[in-house]
Amino acid sequence: MPTAYPLPSNVAPGTVANTASLIRIVALALISGAAIASRLFAVINFESIIHEFDPWFNYRATRVLASKGFYEFWNWFDPTAWYPLGRVVGGTVYPGLMATSGVIYNFLHAINLPVDIRNICVLLAPGFSALTAWATYMQVFTKEMKDSSAGLLAAAFIAIVPGYISRSVAGSYDNEAIAIFLLMFTFFLWIRALKIGSALFGTLAAVFYFYMVAAWGGYVFITNMIPLHALVLIVMGRFSNRLYVAYSSWYAIGTLASMQVPFVGFQPVKTSEHMGALAVFGLLQIVAFAQLVRSHVSDQQFQKLLKMGVIVIGLLGTVTFGVLTLKGWIAPWTGRFYSLWDTGYAKKYIPIIASVSEHQPTAWPSFFMDLQFLIFLFPAGVILCFRQLRDEHLFVIIYAVMASYFAGVMVRLILTLTPVVCVTAAITLSSLLDTYIDPSEPDVVDDSKSEANSATTPGTPANGATQPTPKKAKKAAAASTSQSTLSSTINELTSSTSPASKKSGAPRQKGIFGIDSRLLIITHTLFMLVYFVIHCTWVTSHAYSSPSVVLASSNPDGSQHIIDDFREAYYWLRQNTPQDAVVMSWWDYGYQIAGMADRPTLVDNNTWNNTHIATVGKAMSSSEEVAYPILRKHDVDYVLVIFGALIGYSGDDINKFLWMIRIAQGVWPDEVQESSFFTPQGDYRVDERATPTMRNSLMYKMSYYRFADLYGGNQPMDRVRQQQLPKQSPTLDYLDEAFTSENWIVRIYKVKNEDLLGRDLKSANAFAEGKKRKRSKPVPRRKALTV
Amino acid sequence: MPLRWRTLPHLLLLTLFSVATSCSAKEAAFENTAVVRTADLGGAIVHVMTTYAIKSLANGQDVYTVAFTKKERDSTSFLEVKVKGQKDPLEIRERPFYANAKFTHVDVLLPKKLAENATLNLVVETIQTHMTEPWPEYAGQKENQAMRYTSDLYVLSPYPTLVQRTKIKALAPRIISFTNPENVGAFASDSVASKSGATVTYGPFNNLPATADYDFIKSHQQPVTVRYYHDQPVLEVTSYKRAVEISHWGSNINTEDNIILHNAGPKLKGHFSRVDYQQQTYYGHPVPHILHSLRLDLPPGINNVYYYDLVGNVSTSRLNIAPAVPKGQVAKQDSNLELKPRYPLMGGWNYTFTLGWDADLASAASYNKSSGEYQIEVPIMTPISGAVVDNLELKVVLPEGATDIEVVTPYPSRAMWLERQTTYLDTIGRPVIMFEYKDLTMRHAQKIYVVYKLSVKEHFRKPFVVSAVFFGLFLFTFIVRRIDLTIHKKRKTA
Repeated sequence: MPTAYPLPSNVAPGTVANTASLIRIVALALISGAAIASRLFAVINFESIIHEFDPWFNYRATRVLASKGFYEFWNWFDPTAWYPLGRVVGGTVYPGLMATSGVIYNFLHAINLPVDIRNICVLLAPGFSALTAWATYMQVFTKEMKDSSAGLLAAAFIAIVPGYISRSVAGSYDNEAIAIFLLMFTFFLWIRALKIGSALFGTLAAVFYFYMVAAWGGYVFITNMIPLHALVLIVMGRFSNRLYVAYSSWYAIGTLASMQVPFVGFQPVKTSEHMGALAVFGLLQIVAFAQLVRSHVSDQQFQKLLKMGVIVIGLLGTVTFGVLTLKGWIAPWTGRFYSLWDTGYAKKYIPIIASVSEHQPTAWPSFFMDLQFLIFLFPAGVILCFRQLRDEHLFVIIYAVMASYFAGVMVRLILTLTPVVCVTAAITLSSLLDTYIDPSEPDVVDDSKSEANSATTPGTPANGATQPTPKKAKKAAAASTSQSTLSSTINELTSSTSPASKKSGAPRQKGIFGIDSRLLIITHTLFMLVYFVIHCTWVTSHAYSSPSVVLASSNPDGSQHIIDDFREAYYWLRQNTPQDAVVMSWWDYGYQIAGMADRPTLVDNNTWNNTHIATVGKAMSSSEEVAYPILRKHDVDYVLVIFGALIGYSGDDINKFLWMIRIAQGVWPDEVQESSFFTPQGDYRVDERATPTMRNSLMYKMSYYRFADLYGGNQPMDRVRQQQLPKQSPTLDYLDEAFTSENWIVRIYKVKNEDLLGRDLKSANAFAEGKKRKRSKPVPRRKALTV
Repeated sequence: MPLRWRTLPHLLLLTLFSVATSCSAKEAAFENTAVVRTADLGGAIVHVMTTYAIKSLANGQDVYTVAFTKKERDSTSFLEVKVKGQKDPLEIRERPFYANAKFTHVDVLLPKKLAENATLNLVVETIQTHMTEPWPEYAGQKENQAMRYTSDLYVLSPYPTLVQRTKIKALAPRIISFTNPENVGAFASDSVASKSGATVTYGPFNNLPATADYDFIKSHQQPVTVRYYHDQPVLEVTSYKRAVEISHWGSNINTEDNIILHNAGPKLKGHFSRVDYQQQTYYGHPVPHILHSLRLDLPPGINNVYYYDLVGNVSTSRLNIAPAVPKGQVAKQDSNLELKPRYPLMGGWNYTFTLGWDADLASAASYNKSSGEYQIEVPIMTPISGAVVDNLELKVVLPEGATDIEVVTPYPSRAMWLERQTTYLDTIGRPVIMFEYKDLTMRHAQKIYVVYKLSVKEHFRKPFVVSAVFFGLFLFTFIVRRIDLTIHKKRKTA
């Protein structure tokens, strides 16, 4: 058989197999290493620190779990969150993440490795990403799907793809850190179970599904993906006992197990999101029953029975579902779910969800940024799946369609799209490489025929490349026949499932001629891969490795300068205020205050109580006189605002202010109006043209209080909004400045106590400053304060 | 585990309720020809030097007694008696006293027996902690820091005194006010208090009787108060926890300090204003009671220095490491660490942080071949100038399997006990010696010596255990891979 390049002839097939398996292991180890190493930018550039907002809560909860044990954690009521309501933490979290860290922590301590719990939390995500790469390879689907070389490619892709790294850098201690691994592994087990019809793998899938339910709210994706897959299989007439066994064991055990998570509780049988799985389960029973009946009765009777059965059961099912929904036993879709279908829904009805940046629809560039060239290979891979279209290929196709839609709706759901993109891209790339590395040349009967063939072959490069090949093919054909056995073994190893090589015995009509055409394509592919690695490294180090608790800027000499205002202020709160001092801030900072400052907060990132958040929004957007009673009623001691105007930190509270106003307006439409914060021209301004409502709002006053003093008579400048501020700073009567961080990013105000003489604080202040009370306009002696 | 005690031969012995040997008959056998007490006022600590010019009234006396009021004695954290001009301190013995006694006696063992009319100059050096207090208690961000110090007018002594003076010195010549004692006509002319520069002088008082006497105290003793401006922050370390860990395999000694720092100056009146603070630092008007940064002298040749607090790394510090010197030689210079708290420490504020570093084990340990003993020296604390350490806990973690542990302390600790700690790759745990101290100052930054033996077997415990565990794991997988547990043997399909 002709080959494009000489193959070694004296190697035993066993050696080839052994070497291949060694290379696989080494490659997997390197991929795991790369997966972990590329996520450590944050630790190296900054430090081993918990990132952002939600991870701070997870970290705090993990500390409780590690220090007090699981049962204490289960029953943990946190009185410091949502003051004065408190929060039942054990029943309102997905405990999988904390339990995982807790188990690792206890295990390490049991074998006398007293690793700090913080380091476990920081490094959990990189560690699990290595597992994800393994799961992706470990046939997640690719090995089932194609072969091990595609599996290695997919593992390598998912190890470094930015779309996944964005959620799993060291320190980003969030549910997604372990959830993606669980997602991949559950799908793998499901496909495995489906393929061999094994109840054991079905049960294993259910166990990992339970772990997933305990770890991430995104488990609903699995809950609907697997039934959808099953449904498509049924509709396509691919019902089999394997499907029945796999699905039934997964659904029964998985659902029962998932109900053991307190936060989930009875949702799997009561909410609409879970009804699909139940319906498919029922359908499967019916189909299985029908199959059974069919094997016992004659065809005609069966037709009648089928018609009757379908009508009756369909009616019954619909009526039951309708009645249950009407009765309220099955909850309708939740708002978060609606926003998946109608992207404008959240903005209209639930501003809290819309105010989170990661819930916004995805912009096109972010697909490229997160997936780079994989996004182009993705559709090709999906099409390649159609070529064979086994059950598992169907799964990938469904997954690809669903995840693409969701990724388009919400930025954060690119995360669920990433695995399937990696898998399909790996299939594409692997097919390409298989075709072009495969040394066997198409058989040449005679020159004219082969040229005709090569001209019609799609995928063969330009004519110039094909011309010299027949000579080489002839030379290769003259090579010893002993090579043919070896080359066929290698063929089977490298491209065991590729259709061309399957019939390697028969003379091949299509193929690649010569070494130069091969080299061209392979070099180009390698270039793409290298560039992908460069892109991933760049994106990871620049975009996704900032802890956002610590900001970095550079000194004039190029060295790194750390802006550490958040921790400065939080630490000040922790060290120098009473343990029970209540801190009010916008909800974004709730978890951080609880985690770093260890003080009670009014609202935090667990945005479960809209009214409470709206109360804070109202206090921030009202004038001092209106806000003060609200603050006093909630026992607020300190108010914390984020202010970026001095150094140009754009994520500050003035920029988030409109959301506060909108959320407050949603609850008190008469008292807070968004329109009164805009100038008549419709601008959102903080300078001299700002509206009186804006200038009198607590947020505005707290942000710019004494800001002009810093400029010593010059025109103060807001560097975020690029507006010149009035030279006269606002004054505060009901609050005192308590602390301002070095770069003014965090400003903390103390709420004053009521005046001892019973005056309102404004006139008390005026008196203290020696201003005479205006006789003409007597202040009402006692004015009932209405909230 | 046996633990032996050794104290350095020339050390002070402050055992409170030990039986005193001197008897009261000898008390009148001395006469103080002159007593001068000088109190140097600091922030949290007051350094008091009292010079006694004594004359023996009888032959063969070798015990001299000094007296302190109870309050003085309680706040004294350091006491040392020397013959003037000599280096070595004299041995002293505390006499027992009742809980409600007004004063206490401390016996000083003189270097030689004194003949009649022989004279000697004794210098009693004490360091008092917590004797000053901010007054007024609150100060605004732009205001000065005023402190006050209250002491007794007369120095107590069980012997009659011919001339006595008390001098109280502040750091800066900015005394706000001082008490002008009245009713001193019996011993001095009317104006006994005078101020010159930074010093307030009381006396001279002539022909005082034995002042350590209830009648005298009742009729003549009176408090005097000096108020002064202090130009440095008043620092107090409320808790200082040091852990020292020795590793022979790593040839490393790790020191980690957990420090709670408190600004004990006047509490901040109102609130902290960043604008004012930035203007003060910009225009160069530093306010004395704000701590911007702290300079610490760390040992030379250290590496891997880390400085963090409960919320993570603090990036605002500057370190200058001096090169290492061989053990036994005096280092020419120390490593300097200028550490800045996250926020300027205003009066009444707290800041906690952790500071640690590694050093080569050879810099602290030595091995005695003949006895097979290791000896390590452990500094009790890193001195923080002007600060008083209220509570100190020192933890020395010895290598796993260390035996025959001996400890030599420069001055006795309040408590000392042994513990066991299991950490990285340990099997039986490491012996830990814990020390507890109270009210330490710069003068207490001395070294503790620990001596222990470590057999060759113990040296190789760790590598042996680790390799045994790995071997076990491999053996386990080896066996498991070769056992077939399948119930239904599958037919091999060819």
